[in-house]
Amino acid sequence: MESKFHYLGLIFSAFVMLAFGYGIYESLSYAYLAKIFPLYISLVLCVLAIINLIQEIKTFRRGPKTESTGAADLDSEWGDFAMSEVLRRFSVFIVVIIVLYALVWLIGYPLSITLFIIILYRYVTRTKWHWAIVAGLAGLGFLALVSKLLYMDWPEGVVKLPWPLG
Amino acid sequence: MEVVLQSLAVVLQPAHLLMLICGVVMGLSIGILPGLGGIVGMTILLPVIYGMDPHSAFGLLIGMVAVIPTSDTFPSVMMGIPGSSASQATIMDGYPLAKKGEAARALGAAFTASLIGGLFGALVLTLIIPIARPIVLAFGSPELFMLALLGMSMVGVLSGNKPIKGMLAAGIGVMIGALGDAPAVPEYRYTFGIDYLMDGVPLVVVGLGLFAFPEIVDLLIKGRSISEVPTLGKGWLDGVKDTLRHKFIVLRCSVIGVVVGFLPGLGGSVVDWIAYGHIIQTSRDRENFGKGDIRGVIAPESANNAKEGGGLIPTFLFGIPGSGSMAVFLGGLLILGIQPGPSMVTEHIDLMYTAIWSLALANVFGAILSIALSKPITRLTIIPFSYLAPFMVLIITFACYQATRSWGDLIALLLMGILGWVMKQYGWPRPAALIGYVLSDNLETYLFISVQRYGFEWLTRTGVIVLAAIIIGSLVMGVFYQARKSFKTKASGEGNGK
Repeated sequence: MESKFHYLGLIFSAFVMLAFGYGIYESLSYAYLAKIFPLYISLVLCVLAIINLIQEIKTFRRGPKTESTGAADLDSEWGDFAMSEVLRRFSVFIVVIIVLYALVWLIGYPLSITLFIIILYRYVTRTKWHWAIVAGLAGLGFLALVSKLLYMDWPEGVVKLPWPLG
Repeated sequence: MEVVLQSLAVVLQPAHLLMLICGVVMGLSIGILPGLGGIVGMTILLPVIYGMDPHSAFGLLIGMVAVIPTSDTFPSVMMGIPGSSASQATIMDGYPLAKKGEAARALGAAFTASLIGGLFGALVLTLIIPIARPIVLAFGSPELFMLALLGMSMVGVLSGNKPIKGMLAAGIGVMIGALGDAPAVPEYRYTFGIDYLMDGVPLVVVGLGLFAFPEIVDLLIKGRSISEVPTLGKGWLDGVKDTLRHKFIVLRCSVIGVVVGFLPGLGGSVVDWIAYGHIIQTSRDRENFGKGDIRGVIAPESANNAKEGGGLIPTFLFGIPGSGSMAVFLGGLLILGIQPGPSMVTEHIDLMYTAIWSLALANVFGAILSIALSKPITRLTIIPFSYLAPFMVLIITFACYQATRSWGDLIALLLMGILGWVMKQYGWPRPAALIGYVLSDNLETYLFISVQRYGFEWLTRTGVIVLAAIIIGSLVMGVFYQARKSFKTKASGEGNGK
């Protein structure tokens, strides 16, 4: 694991510690019965988070090493991928999701997700246009069917479109 | 006995059977997608079960969770990629068998072992109810609080490489669960003035954010695709015969599965390795393990199906989930208006037997469908994930939005997804966080009732003292075990260095 990537792990551990610290601070303003549980939990966890952060810093100073996720989780094994590339792809995915959300806000969920499927099929999986459109329409059809059968709702956009597009 | 037969009659009703088969088919589909397991599958189903009759909902949920350990064998055997965390050990011998052209034999053995393991789990669950009933009824709020604490501590210590990270991950879950209205008084906590957080973050959002989102991202980043179509070969019947010939391996590993499923924290990701390790240790001829020994397929497959029966015991009787998927199942029970715990053996005993029959039938349907549909399913495993990813995004965003039908659901999904991905990369066990989240409300409520009813005397109750001793013992042993393991690793590293 690259040292820069390990460094981000340290930042996350520090963030967890600060979050529990905030948990203590915020709970002090609550009524007695509301604060007991979060206060004591945060106190114990904040102490553990400090110990964890110290351990992580020690490990980091000894030299970054690979840590597996452990027994209860599938490990992220990146093989030949450089961690900088993994982070870049992760950031791209997050940006794509944010763009999707912005589109949902504008034109509503069904049309946005249809366009999302078409664009991903065309430019990520390199499918031909007509197959990409078929995939998008399949997604829209699934959405319309499930929402009708199970009385489910979807986010509407600022621009109102006729069912099932908006 | 009467209630057992009544529940069977309910299970055999067409509506229930239809739900069960729907659950089984969905479970088979989720299982063959690498990385996605019971937690994601069950969470997707949660919005669907709102307002549903509990018996039908049980069919759907249990139908799904029971067969994922069956269908996740396909990618493990055919591609050498675990379909879920419970089928990692199956790769060791299943994949070499497939490469030798004996995939059908490996799958035949795996499905038969899964079927027997699953039925064994259901049988144990049936037998345990009358035995556990008097013990469960003797438990009050203080003991239930301590049990929830025991579950949390075991999850924390056992579910990761470092006990401290496991406990912190469980703590993150507890604090997420504490967001919103306090159970004891009308006060909103940690809402930052955001209306959406007043009711807390819904389970669907937490489950899909912590589990589905990171898996989709990782699979997209890896861009996995298979260049050649795997062939099944011949030998289905040989596989079945192999399993029947090694019946004592199936039995022993089913017992391991039930016990591991019962213990909070271990769950699916280790049960297969424990069974695999056990079978290597107890076999005289070990030279073929890892090269395509059929016993290496039978052992983990019988254990990972049996664990579902074991996992339902603490979930139903004490409201303590044994694994991440059981945590979601617990959330499903609450959505249906059923409070797991001692009331299950008094008020909802019929539902428990419905669950058992559903579990048994789902295992039968799962095995039959897996064999019958093996050819098309095998072809499905070669679809590159980038083709499925846009549809997975559709399913998780649409399912999430059903939680409260507000934008907050989608934004919370993204934030939880980022949190889940970071946790996954840096060794923070996410199942511990999910179980912490689900137990958060119970922990606080039981503590509140205990203090209100008994004052500080609740700490002197015999059951509480016994459970406290077990908690301290498990924490000390967990920390000691990890310290010894890291000392051994260091020592062997230095030895190799010299």
